[in-house]
Amino acid sequence: MTTATTQGPAEEFRRLSDGDAELRAHGAYFSCTYLLDMERHAFLVRMHRGRVEDLVVDPEPLTAYDFAIRAGAETWREFCTPVPKPMYHGIWAASFQRDMRLEGDLLVLMQNLRCLTRQLELLRLTGPLG
Amino acid sequence: MGTASRISPVTGHYVTIDVEDVQYKVFYLENGQGQPLVCQHTAGCHNHQWRGLLEDEEITANHRVIAYDLARHGKSDPPLNKEWWKEEYKLTADHYVAFITAFCDALGLEDPIFMGSSFGGNVALQLALRHPDRFKAVIPVEGADYSPGFYLDWWQHPHANAAQVCASGVWDLMAPQSPDADRWATWFYYSQGSEAFKGDLYFYSVDHDLRGRLGEIDGERCPVVMLTGEYDYLTTPADGARTAEQIRGAEFIEMKEIGHFPMSENYPRFAGYLKQALRRIEERTAS
Repeated sequence: MTTATTQGPAEEFRRLSDGDAELRAHGAYFSCTYLLDMERHAFLVRMHRGRVEDLVVDPEPLTAYDFAIRAGAETWREFCTPVPKPMYHGIWAASFQRDMRLEGDLLVLMQNLRCLTRQLELLRLTGPLG
Repeated sequence: MGTASRISPVTGHYVTIDVEDVQYKVFYLENGQGQPLVCQHTAGCHNHQWRGLLEDEEITANHRVIAYDLARHGKSDPPLNKEWWKEEYKLTADHYVAFITAFCDALGLEDPIFMGSSFGGNVALQLALRHPDRFKAVIPVEGADYSPGFYLDWWQHPHANAAQVCASGVWDLMAPQSPDADRWATWFYYSQGSEAFKGDLYFYSVDHDLRGRLGEIDGERCPVVMLTGEYDYLTTPADGARTAEQIRGAEFIEMKEIGHFPMSENYPRFAGYLKQALRRIEERTAS
């Protein structure tokens, strides 16, 4: 269920993403749909040419996406801080050393890795989305 | 300020060497005089990673800093006299060690200190094992006895932009505290080396395996001072400490707020630890 506490950070994430200089400069081909599974809530991010087309909180069960990034709430809490501690400082680090899992069509993730990496760093400003 | 004052004292040279009957034209940068300090860049990269060290006047005052490009990297071409394009590039420990010793021989270096990072850190351990009399000491940076997990098809997948996958794929190896400009310079270098990256990682994650053999390294004869950054998720400080513990006489220093490319992502921070390592080597080798 979408709640006020999840809508605030999610909307902030969308605002920061759409206004980000790097994504505006390099996002012309950044089009894909991915899921951030933060344990308590999941967030579907649908990107189109570098802009957030949709950001759905707790999407319905059969909603399709290209890939998912899943981790426990504690990992996301550390990940989404201004200066993350070692091993929580990116999706590679947290996948190699913590409980983060990259699932689905990882080719799409790799094709969009530059912009995705930048976009996920914006979580350092918003904090966990929910 | 005149134009001349902005010319760097760092100079570039080429030297042609023979390694296992194959000829290579090797590019290297150097500056300083005194104790040779030979520097190996990380996998899929080139010698600009050592740009800060090469211009560090405190170190170059009494060290001849030499940073070469391994064949197929930077300005060092693939083999000159071999149809290399008909083979898959997979770097082996045997070849890597032979290449480095041939390069040091070609420059006539006496008792050089060898320092390398990542796959250069791992080969520093190989050099200490195989040629303890050829090197005064080694400084494995971000090295370990074994470092699996990075020999991945993604580095060369034809459906993805290999330059960006390699460059952004190593982004997390750097610490968030490192300056943006230096992290992006390192990212840029990585966008240039994708064709060699995977073959380098064959050595890093597959062929290099010193588990059970670290006891054969004589760290008294060839001092080993290991440096590892706390943000390195591939060869973690725990991996570095575990490796050093098994080498007779080896020392281990954990570096705070820095990652897997310390000399390139944040040289001023790395420099403090490097100077500590060089002091330890000087103390231990003074006779």
